[in-house]
Amino acid sequence: MSPTAAPAALAVRGLTKTYGAGLTAVRDLDLEIADGAFFGLLGPNGAGKTTLIGTVCNLVRPTAGEIQIFGHDYRSREARFLVGLSEQDVNLDRFIDAEEILVYQAGYYGLGRPEAWRRTRELLDLFDLSAKAKSRRSELSGGMQRRLLLAQALVHGPRLLILDEPTAGADVELRTELWDYIRRLHGAGTTVLLTTHYLEEAEALCDEIALIRGGVVVARGSANDLRDRFGARDISEVYLRAMAA
Amino acid sequence: MTVVAPPPYDRQYQAERPAFLWLLEREIVRFLKIWRFSILGQILAALLFVLVFGVALKDRVEAIHGIPYDRFILPGLLVQAMLTVGFVNGTTSLFEARNDRYIHRVLASPLRWWEINLGLVVGGIVREVLVGLGVILVAGPLVGIGVAHPFVFSAATVALLVSASQLGVLAGTYARSLDDVYSLETLVVLPLGFLSGIFYSVDKLPPAWRALSYANPVYYFVEAMRAGLLGHADLSPTVSLSVVGGIVVVLSGWSLALFRSAKQLKS
Repeated sequence: MSPTAAPAALAVRGLTKTYGAGLTAVRDLDLEIADGAFFGLLGPNGAGKTTLIGTVCNLVRPTAGEIQIFGHDYRSREARFLVGLSEQDVNLDRFIDAEEILVYQAGYYGLGRPEAWRRTRELLDLFDLSAKAKSRRSELSGGMQRRLLLAQALVHGPRLLILDEPTAGADVELRTELWDYIRRLHGAGTTVLLTTHYLEEAEALCDEIALIRGGVVVARGSANDLRDRFGARDISEVYLRAMAA
Repeated sequence: MTVVAPPPYDRQYQAERPAFLWLLEREIVRFLKIWRFSILGQILAALLFVLVFGVALKDRVEAIHGIPYDRFILPGLLVQAMLTVGFVNGTTSLFEARNDRYIHRVLASPLRWWEINLGLVVGGIVREVLVGLGVILVAGPLVGIGVAHPFVFSAATVALLVSASQLGVLAGTYARSLDDVYSLETLVVLPLGFLSGIFYSVDKLPPAWRALSYANPVYYFVEAMRAGLLGHADLSPTVSLSVVGGIVVVLSGWSLALFRSAKQLKS
């Protein structure tokens, strides 16, 4: 964790989200993530992870609660600029090609044209997509789409990077490459909030892990803390015990 | 690539280039990539109507209010073409963005709700202008049309541009399936256009049909456009422009309220 006196990267207080059908996906949830942390959010499907992330990213309207991003209200432009989101779904714009996807994404965050193109070329090169710069979504392989999604989240240089299952469906080589880059970003000061079903990945990468079930955080701590608290050998065992409790 | 340090957390947001312009540019690039359908196809459709119903049948159809038939139908065809592209543009662009969820990229960004609405609406307006200009430039010389009342023509055009685009954005916001999108176009927009007096004078209709025409909002756009281009219409320009002005206010207010609340755009 960074020793800086910056406000929390993410501060969620009393967050509740009840959908129209009456389903409460997140219930009176409190969560604080320090600036510079590598934070893992683990839980089964339907636990409320994606709803929490969607709310933080202004995609879901909360029923109650407050959210601050580096001390800014989550709806403010200052907060929005500081966040980058890579979603679980491959939601790439189907009408424009890969380089346009990145350029316009940079533009939505207010970058000027020269900087948007510079960042685009850098990220296409970094993620080995330069040869596919003029290709549309349907012409990219699954791995390429996944890399483009991550590039999209990074193109404006966020301070808080939210990764919702970023390696779902990715092969081992791609996962290794992506994590290597994410580690370097984290090393340079980027706060990372990660959800993943690869528990060993979370254990290896994250300074701190929260386990979420039924829209509530049921346990939180470093991998070592959690292992000690649950008397478990590894994080998979912690997960199983926490979810069964 | 070297990894750079993240931006400071306490800096006030300031865009190097307004994000709204980027969204507008993306909207324009989207339809220009399919220009044969989005622009050329719509101009051709209007031109075919002028050729078949106007030029070919002109000598067999009486002049209406002393205006040759091909010239009489052109203002209505212009309205129909611009209404259709404005509606289709907003509907397809927004529906696809919602359906494929890449609208999330816009909603999660610093773009404000009104900038998103404006970007989508102005994108549709640009497409309408291109199609409208195409229709006038191609069909205008064939029938010999001018602008009789520039103010009425300008006001009618602006009202039509905004209304059609806002209507498309509204439909794209509410549509839940592609069937909704196509049904609205073929079951609502197309019949309203054809029954709006494009091909006939509503004054010549039986009273019941005339009453139905008065209930059709597209009728007032056709009348206003006809008054602006030809200098003659069944309705006074004051009446038709007042109604289309009211339509602009209602549609824009509805659309802006919807984007502000974000009820249809966010879960």
